[in-house]
Amino acid sequence: MLTRQMQRESSYTEAGCKMENVSRRNNYLFLTSVMAITDFKIKYDNSVLGYFWSLLKPLLMFGTLYLVFSVFVRWQVENYRLYLLLGIILWNFLSEVTLNSMVLLQSKASILKKIYFPRWIIVVASSLTSLLTLLLNIGVFFIFFAFSGARFRMSALLFVVYLAELYILVVGLALLLCALFPKFRDIHHIWEVFVQLGFWATPIIYPISIVPAKYHTLIFLNPVARIIQGSRQALIGPGGEFLGLTNHIIIVFVAVGLFAIGLGMFNRLSRSFAEDL
Amino acid sequence: MITLKEVNKVFRLPHDKKTTLRQRFVSLLQKKTYEELYALRNLNLKVNDGEFLGIIGKNGAGKSTLLKVIARVFEPTSGSVSTNGMIAPFLELGVGFQWELTVKDNIFFYGALLGMSRQEVEEKYDWIIDFSGLERFVDAKLKNLSSGMQVRLGFSITVSVESPILLVDEVLAVGDMDFQQKCYDSFKNFKQNGRTILFVSHDFEAVERFCDRVILLEDGEIKAQGGPRDMLDVYDRGNGTDLRNTNSII
Repeated sequence: MLTRQMQRESSYTEAGCKMENVSRRNNYLFLTSVMAITDFKIKYDNSVLGYFWSLLKPLLMFGTLYLVFSVFVRWQVENYRLYLLLGIILWNFLSEVTLNSMVLLQSKASILKKIYFPRWIIVVASSLTSLLTLLLNIGVFFIFFAFSGARFRMSALLFVVYLAELYILVVGLALLLCALFPKFRDIHHIWEVFVQLGFWATPIIYPISIVPAKYHTLIFLNPVARIIQGSRQALIGPGGEFLGLTNHIIIVFVAVGLFAIGLGMFNRLSRSFAEDL
Repeated sequence: MITLKEVNKVFRLPHDKKTTLRQRFVSLLQKKTYEELYALRNLNLKVNDGEFLGIIGKNGAGKSTLLKVIARVFEPTSGSVSTNGMIAPFLELGVGFQWELTVKDNIFFYGALLGMSRQEVEEKYDWIIDFSGLERFVDAKLKNLSSGMQVRLGFSITVSVESPILLVDEVLAVGDMDFQQKCYDSFKNFKQNGRTILFVSHDFEAVERFCDRVILLEDGEIKAQGGPRDMLDVYDRGNGTDLRNTNSII
């Protein structure tokens, strides 16, 4: 009780002129970029082949699912290959950022205990590393796109908007999870299960048309389902309701809300990371 | 300048620390018990610009906690800390080392961690390589270097940071005579450049040589402060033996 009461009275002030603060902000940006690049290099073993190796996982997953659902099950979806690949790539991004940021936080514990820097840098750096992977994967998607005979449409430009929305949403989630992680370590395992559940609850491998209409509202409570569906309609077509403004408003509302909650919790709880981790 | 006003740092040491949801759920009905440990107790301290302040005391007196509170790694439980200017923490050499990366990559990473800008790291890069004597190993992975080389690299990057405030925690304990001499030389430089230094050490010779003022910590409180000679005497009396002599014999 005593300690809780005291908490409110502590303060840390750091004097410095305006220019000094600007330069400090630049240094934090530099640290963020260096940390992201470092993680990227370690992940891919500092080599081009390392990256291709890492492509194997999503591609193998794609290959297996494609085999099962286009040869054995046969959905009636135009350009199913692109439909599936895009869904997997986007969902992979969510899964990677949220899970990796917790792992990264744990692995940086020894640094957090000795050196101060704003703790959000770790989460943002982790998200940038995954963003780089996402962009490379989208490159692979466009190679498939070029060979599929699909036609490029102007609405494809909307894809960039969906990516931005996805990024904000995912970083918000990662901040929220990382804020709780030092006190509840098993949140990593729990979240892994949720990601798995979400994968099947989102129309990634199956077309939304096979789901009875009464469940559609439920499925599209999930903003990621809206983002994936919208990206498909924008890139592969045919156009549809998910390209509309309403869809964007709903997504942005959820994404920004989650981001604000995540950031708030993170700022509050990260103050004791050095002791909890 | 660094000012600490009535700073308390209390650690709660649970008898059984719960770090997962499962443990919390399982022990919902159990009574939570913990000990409160005052690592710092109502501490007031003012360090002037350009001062070389020594901090001595037994293990567990709160020396490292004090540095970490000033470095902002720990949030004080109550009280206020104010500093002006960037702080470079010398709490441990090579905390952020990435073993799988090259020496060059590590210089950028560690430099950024210590608060340097890209431009500063680029400017200091040649000097760091030169000072650590690793010209031939720039592209070698850090894990393949000898431990002596790793220490030299960590030290070289750390001393290249040009922050007005330095926090030093026993880094000198590692390394051979040659290396220690290098450290002392850098200290002399820092002092001449008018940087503020907080120095935690058990090496009384170094304390006596460099410090303008020494504070003696005991159970999280400042028990005494003054010139280095007097403080070392007070400290020795408190221990009942003349530690300085034993130290020099070893």
